[in-house]
Amino acid sequence: MLVDFAVIKSAQSGDSVAFNEIVLAYRKRILGHISHLIARTEDVEDVAQEVFVRMYYSLDQLRSAEVFEPWLYTLTKNAAYDYLRKQKRRQEFRMSDLSEQQVTMADAVAGGKAEQEERYHKTIRESVDALLGAVSEADRILLMLKEVEGLSLKELEKIYKVNENALKVRLFRARQRVLKAFGAAEKKEDAG
Amino acid sequence: MIPMRGSNDEKLDALFRAFAACPTPEPSANFMPTLWQKIESRQTFTFSFRRMANAFAAAAVALTLALSVYMYVPHAAPAPSLSYLDMLAEAHPIVTPDLASPTQLELTESGR
Repeated sequence: MLVDFAVIKSAQSGDSVAFNEIVLAYRKRILGHISHLIARTEDVEDVAQEVFVRMYYSLDQLRSAEVFEPWLYTLTKNAAYDYLRKQKRRQEFRMSDLSEQQVTMADAVAGGKAEQEERYHKTIRESVDALLGAVSEADRILLMLKEVEGLSLKELEKIYKVNENALKVRLFRARQRVLKAFGAAEKKEDAG
Repeated sequence: MIPMRGSNDEKLDALFRAFAACPTPEPSANFMPTLWQKIESRQTFTFSFRRMANAFAAAAVALTLALSVYMYVPHAAPAPSLSYLDMLAEAHPIVTPDLASPTQLELTESGR
């Protein structure tokens, strides 16, 4: 826990100083989670603010301060899901784009170190974003929570409130779809 | 760098690992002010919506009360002492000439 239970309880009773303290403690972590869930860095802060707005209005629904972190994770997951659904300009999965990105990744070796790193990270994000276009928004979030955020099945059970086996099946199917898309992009790259 | 050798499973894992290692965006200087603006704007919207909903609810309750009072208060109506047909006839007096009544012919002397 990044804050004391007492701070959460104060925020629940409407103390805005306590609320600020929670936001300051968790915002970096939430920004990190969201950057993995939505991949578009320019929208990450906006979605993080949405998480905290939701937190402000639903803190009174939190049963106990002990379950604050999984609860905040659920809010983050839901806000990211809503963002992905609303995002109209979410590009359809295009294999040609992915191949280009993979080629760019290799090309990124040239250039200044900082610039090169930045370009490399951008390419990675775009590649992952394009690949995840092969699965639904809900599966994308689940897959990211497991594969990138490194959450265990037990932790996911708490967030999703479904049993471990159902989660395993969903994760397996989502990964298979992403793998298929990855394979298709690789083939296309090899052919080109 | 992502390894370009190995199975697709391994490559995908490597891509996810590289993605996880991407730097986390730093919160901007405007993070907190913008957050509070968003909270307040939503509060204003919620407040005005609640006020409007309350006004509608109050108006509906008032209308319901008024209607129920109107329905339950007995209206001063004269006790019907006449038969239904008499009342009907009284309520709708025939103003048009009664075509059904027998015509009275006045027979004059010259007409004989």
